[in-house]
Amino acid sequence: MANLTISGLKKNYGIVDVIHGLDLSVQDGEFVSLIGESGCGKSTLLRMIAGLEDISGGTISLNGRVINDVEPKNRDMAMVFQNYALYPHLTVAENMGFSLKLRNVEKAQIKTAVGEVAEMLNLTPYLDRLPRALSGGQRQRVAMGRAIVRRPQVFLFDEPLSNLDAKLRVQMRVEIRALQRRLGTTSIYVTHDQMEAMTMSDRIVILNKGRIEQVGSPLELYDRPANLFVATFIGSPAMNLFEGVVQRHNNGCFVRVADALLPLPSSIEISDHSEVVVGIRPEHFEVANPENGQALSFDLVLVEPTGAETHLYGKVGTQNVTVAVRDRLAQTAPAQIRLVARQNDIHVFRKSDGGRIG
Amino acid sequence: MSSRSLKFISGKLGIVLAVVVLLVWSLGPIYWSVVTSLTSPTDLVSATPHFWPTHVTLEHYARLFGSTSMSQGNEVQSVWPQFSAALLNSLITSVVATVLTVVIAAFSAYAFVRLRFPGRDMIFVLVVATLAIPAYTVMIPLYRLMISLKLVDTYLGVSLIYVSAFLPLALWLMRSVYQAMPLSLEEAAWLDGASKVYTLVRIVMPLAAPGLIAAAIITFLNAWGQFLVPLVFSPTLATKPLTVLIPEFVGRNYVDYGLINAAGIVAIIPPVLVVLFLNRFLVSGLMAGATK
Repeated sequence: MANLTISGLKKNYGIVDVIHGLDLSVQDGEFVSLIGESGCGKSTLLRMIAGLEDISGGTISLNGRVINDVEPKNRDMAMVFQNYALYPHLTVAENMGFSLKLRNVEKAQIKTAVGEVAEMLNLTPYLDRLPRALSGGQRQRVAMGRAIVRRPQVFLFDEPLSNLDAKLRVQMRVEIRALQRRLGTTSIYVTHDQMEAMTMSDRIVILNKGRIEQVGSPLELYDRPANLFVATFIGSPAMNLFEGVVQRHNNGCFVRVADALLPLPSSIEISDHSEVVVGIRPEHFEVANPENGQALSFDLVLVEPTGAETHLYGKVGTQNVTVAVRDRLAQTAPAQIRLVARQNDIHVFRKSDGGRIG
Repeated sequence: MSSRSLKFISGKLGIVLAVVVLLVWSLGPIYWSVVTSLTSPTDLVSATPHFWPTHVTLEHYARLFGSTSMSQGNEVQSVWPQFSAALLNSLITSVVATVLTVVIAAFSAYAFVRLRFPGRDMIFVLVVATLAIPAYTVMIPLYRLMISLKLVDTYLGVSLIYVSAFLPLALWLMRSVYQAMPLSLEEAAWLDGASKVYTLVRIVMPLAAPGLIAAAIITFLNAWGQFLVPLVFSPTLATKPLTVLIPEFVGRNYVDYGLINAAGIVAIIPPVLVVLFLNRFLVSGLMAGATK
């Protein structure tokens, strides 16, 4: 059982505030990712949970008990560091059993526990090696194993996969998620890779400049981003944004983009002449019939085939737009094509504060 | 011959020349000392110097190690009682000073790197700044201090002076060693449940071993070679080291070159052994594998 509750959490270094009153609660067994650009405070937040950074204000509690002033060693949390931080003078087995040894667990028991986890992580042949004799992926596994062996209440991951190559990263991503499901341990995972966050998490916390922009399941964030920051942060390639003014007609609201009138989703309540930002994900555009009068005319500049889909780069009016289509496109750049997007795939945000409408 | 290979050869020649100069510079005096210690007193004052003695004699060493020995036809007392006492004194003061210095530096340097306390960097700078104070300027106040503490001519007194003299350098060295170590290793140990002291002793120090060994070597060599401090603070054979004893072989009427050099050669042996022994641990690459 581990419910982690963070309320009004603040952190400052001198006069510089890096985290401004943050609230978050993580349920037992949940896998929560913290994601944001570098310097957004995600690592600081994780280190405050671990007890490696002082708390300037607010509280962190574990199962209802405030742990602000509990030493890291007494928090019963295990952390996997970005650089693994293996003890270079100890063997793999000693690295993994270090925390148990400190708890005066009997040698035989340590050996069994380490053996089990090594089996789980395919590390059994390497137990007597020193970290320097392991590959990057193996070191990463040892760091994981060291965290798992002691069965902590909470796992903390600080960008654990960022030093691995792309293929290994995908493989470890799946393994970490599977392990976490199996162990049912509450986990907090810091990453800057939205793919990792989307694929692994039960919920994602999007941080920006020390504030939470949105908390939600991966698909919630994708389908209903709460504001422009989240909208552009989640999804790759990033969402296309068009500024415009709402025009109310009998049959709904529209925004003029270049030479076309984009119909807004019918569910949206908005007054005439409001200044808005309209967002359309690249994958929600479709190539339209050239005669379609409502379609946007798109000046294709570059075609980028990725295999599964094709990315099209170009301009609508004066604005850069990216389009991702599933079909192989026979078209070569430059060319002019017409694009449409389904009404309900269009996101609308207030221009004033970037908040979502509807 | 092309200008390129000429350049190559002249470059090699430069290196060879530099190595030869360096070797002559550092080994020359030792060679001279060895030769002198093996030459009979009469040959020492001969008009024609030799690169190697015409008659090798061990009589100087006999006077060091025997109970009595023959010198220039007379039976004389050997200096073994004084020499052995001074050798022991040198060993004790150097070893005690080395151990104390390294232990204190190992802990205090860590405090200067990882703990936060007011004036941390200022205190460090002040401690290191004492390196700039020449020993003779503090000799008289230090002597009065040691007299009133009744520490003159005691192992403790001499060792403490050595520690105070050599600690700043060891501290400086260890501080940069600790600074170069990744903090995440210590954080990992704390999260694994280790206390700060346990982490320092079991994780940090083993990895800082090359630094600790280097500090030990520097301190031992410095202490072993001290002359001025023991000259003042070790007046009797109770604590008098070799460095002070050996020059006393210069008599009023006779400079005993043979004996001085034989004793000097013997005095070289302990530091050489210490360096050879510790050098094995001075390996690099201990940190390999810790991070990515």
